[in-house]
Amino acid sequence: MRFPDSDQPDASPAAQDAVAGPSSVGLDHPGPSNGHLNGNGFAAAPNGAPAASATGNGVQKHNGHSKQSSAASHALSVARVTLPGSSLYDDSDVDREEFIRLVIQSLRDVGYIESAATLEAESGYAMETPEVADFRRFILEARWSKAENSLQRLGVRDREGLWDARFLISQQKYLELLEAQRTTDALQVLRNELAPLDVDSEQLHALSSLMMCSEPEDLRQRAGWDGAAGHSRRILLDNLHRYIPPSIMVPPRRFSTLLHQANAYQRQQCVYHNIPMSSPGFSLFADHQCDKTGFPRVTTTVLEVHIDQVWIVEWSRDGNFLASASKDKSAIIWGIGPETEMPIREWEKRHVLDHHYGVQSLSWSPDDTMLLTGSEGHIKMWNAKTGVCIRTLEEHSEPVTAFAWLPDNSGFLSAGMDFKIIIWNMDGQRRDIWSLLPVRITYMAVTPDFTRLVAIGMRAPSPVDPRADGEGAPSGANGGTVTASPPPKDEHRLLVYDFDSRRNEASEPFEGELTGLSVSHNSQYALVSRSPDDIQLWDLNLGRMARKYTGHRQTKDIIRSCFGGFESNFVVSGSEDGNVYVWHRDTGVLLEVLEGHGEGSVNCVAWNPRNERMFASCSDDHTIRIWEAPPADMLMMLDSPTGVDYPLPVTKGKGKTRQRWDGDSADAGGSSART
Amino acid sequence: MGMTYRRYLAGERIYGCSNCRTHLATIHSMVSRAFNGQHGRAYLFDGVVNVLEGEPSDRPMTTGNHTVRDIYCCKCGVTLGWKYEKAYEASQKYKEGKYILERNLLVDVQ
Repeated sequence: MRFPDSDQPDASPAAQDAVAGPSSVGLDHPGPSNGHLNGNGFAAAPNGAPAASATGNGVQKHNGHSKQSSAASHALSVARVTLPGSSLYDDSDVDREEFIRLVIQSLRDVGYIESAATLEAESGYAMETPEVADFRRFILEARWSKAENSLQRLGVRDREGLWDARFLISQQKYLELLEAQRTTDALQVLRNELAPLDVDSEQLHALSSLMMCSEPEDLRQRAGWDGAAGHSRRILLDNLHRYIPPSIMVPPRRFSTLLHQANAYQRQQCVYHNIPMSSPGFSLFADHQCDKTGFPRVTTTVLEVHIDQVWIVEWSRDGNFLASASKDKSAIIWGIGPETEMPIREWEKRHVLDHHYGVQSLSWSPDDTMLLTGSEGHIKMWNAKTGVCIRTLEEHSEPVTAFAWLPDNSGFLSAGMDFKIIIWNMDGQRRDIWSLLPVRITYMAVTPDFTRLVAIGMRAPSPVDPRADGEGAPSGANGGTVTASPPPKDEHRLLVYDFDSRRNEASEPFEGELTGLSVSHNSQYALVSRSPDDIQLWDLNLGRMARKYTGHRQTKDIIRSCFGGFESNFVVSGSEDGNVYVWHRDTGVLLEVLEGHGEGSVNCVAWNPRNERMFASCSDDHTIRIWEAPPADMLMMLDSPTGVDYPLPVTKGKGKTRQRWDGDSADAGGSSART
Repeated sequence: MGMTYRRYLAGERIYGCSNCRTHLATIHSMVSRAFNGQHGRAYLFDGVVNVLEGEPSDRPMTTGNHTVRDIYCCKCGVTLGWKYEKAYEASQKYKEGKYILERNLLVDVQ
């Protein structure tokens, strides 16, 4: 419910500008022109001293303004309500006083000053004691010694906290004196106030070096501080919050913070979440929960041109093209056809890129103009528009397994089974060896923020019992008792490097075989596919495993997994059982097992970088499937028990397509899409 | 099926395909040097890597009848030798599951 706007129509914007003030600009005052407001969210005294005194819970009395708020006079007429107990509801453990004080803070923040005062009067709870308001004012008005003196009254009891808080205040004082070019006074502060506070000498040294600044501008820059006239005093207040018990000085916008937490929690619990939280549909009135509507779980297109297993798919950065790599010695660039009519997108084969061997790696350049492919030890650079091979680079002596692009379009890296990561210029000139790794590299990725390079790889351990060259080798045809052994298992590792220094940060040994790696958009996580049968989420900052995803099958093939969806909410992987598996990233819950591909492994999956409702998968069955959220007219069909046969477009060699909606397997029967 | 990487071996002596240098076996898994193949000397190995196996067929050999499969390099497809599936004579049973690589088709790689 909302009452018509009050008599302060311009109040709200003003209040919003006052960034973090627990009690925002007093609306009964003309605005920041009055001495102590300063746009810092400090309410001089609009909150009704009479009301406070009436309840014995005085907010501050001081104010020199004649225009006492009507709230006060209004508040006078409000009778205090006395309630039993101290909780908000009989059966709740929310403290009533805390709750009411937060409500008062919120009301005041947005500008409902009278309501806040009324509530204070009616409840008998003041948002804050007068000391808090005074303290805030002292800081904002640079009355440093008064501020320091009130610290103890505000509950800063332990010695260390008190010293830290005093240090912060004195530091501000020191900086402001320097800014005002009162160097002698500043020096006094440094000697008599800061130095005795037992801070570490480096910090003190840094502060004293600021004495050398000749211009205030120079000082602000070097100190990373925006001056007395800037936000620095408010920032100081925020920092001081740490030392003052929150029950005394309520942290700014506390209610809103709690609501954001509720929001984040609901978002976390919403396993199918695939839309921005800001979109309509999120309300305080109901818990947020996405249904499957926006989730890509039906095949909208089958691309059938490859004549052997398809190993890799990757989207162009703009999401309009798809590149696929196959055992059939070709890579194909696919694009959305011209005569696309929603909701059915038509895909067509744009270019077939021929190689001498199967294609095991590919990567789009950041501007999508170039495609790199790796086939055995050869790298081919292709013009993605024309499908023409620009250059073939023959430096790796073993298969090239991964590419990564350098910032600013300055070149790229290639990694191979020959232990090497090579740096190339954009024109294909070999620049350098980035590093020689201790493993044969099976995949590599650079985090989007270019802070880390992550690689997986393997190496054969040396035999346990090395014999002298040839001599110890058995002879004679009756060698049945001779102990010869099949080659031992390879050692697999996850390696993390600092990208700039190329220093190794982590080298994690793994049981089993590592086959896939991708990094999250926020550069925090690496997703590592491991056979047998699990995918691990590694927190690169903490250097440890955060979560595991299981349910799919992987025993011998190179199966790739990736992040997907809005804010990388999902983890998706191929599987040797021919299905596509999708998990919720944060909970590890298996959301979908999507059927449709034929016999053999689903080798790789790729989520469209621009459309969170679309991904592609490729399989041993020679096809690529595009998965999308079911269009509205289809949702009903999906729910019907019989399932529906739509024509599904299948892109054949000539670019002809046919289409059939291949629904959620459980609903549509999961019948084969191909004829 | 799917994509797989070729395996790589380590040790003092690695035998590779003479055509494309793909790693095949190490000296540590060698059982015997005293065999003969179609191109002369051949080695018996306990385990080899990176080979594809053909269809089984029965072949009379100097040491009796055996069921064998030809083996091919997984990269270049060259025939390298064979694998013993079954030996019919008791004294030859030890060969079952082991591999013959012909010396002339091998090259030392490192």
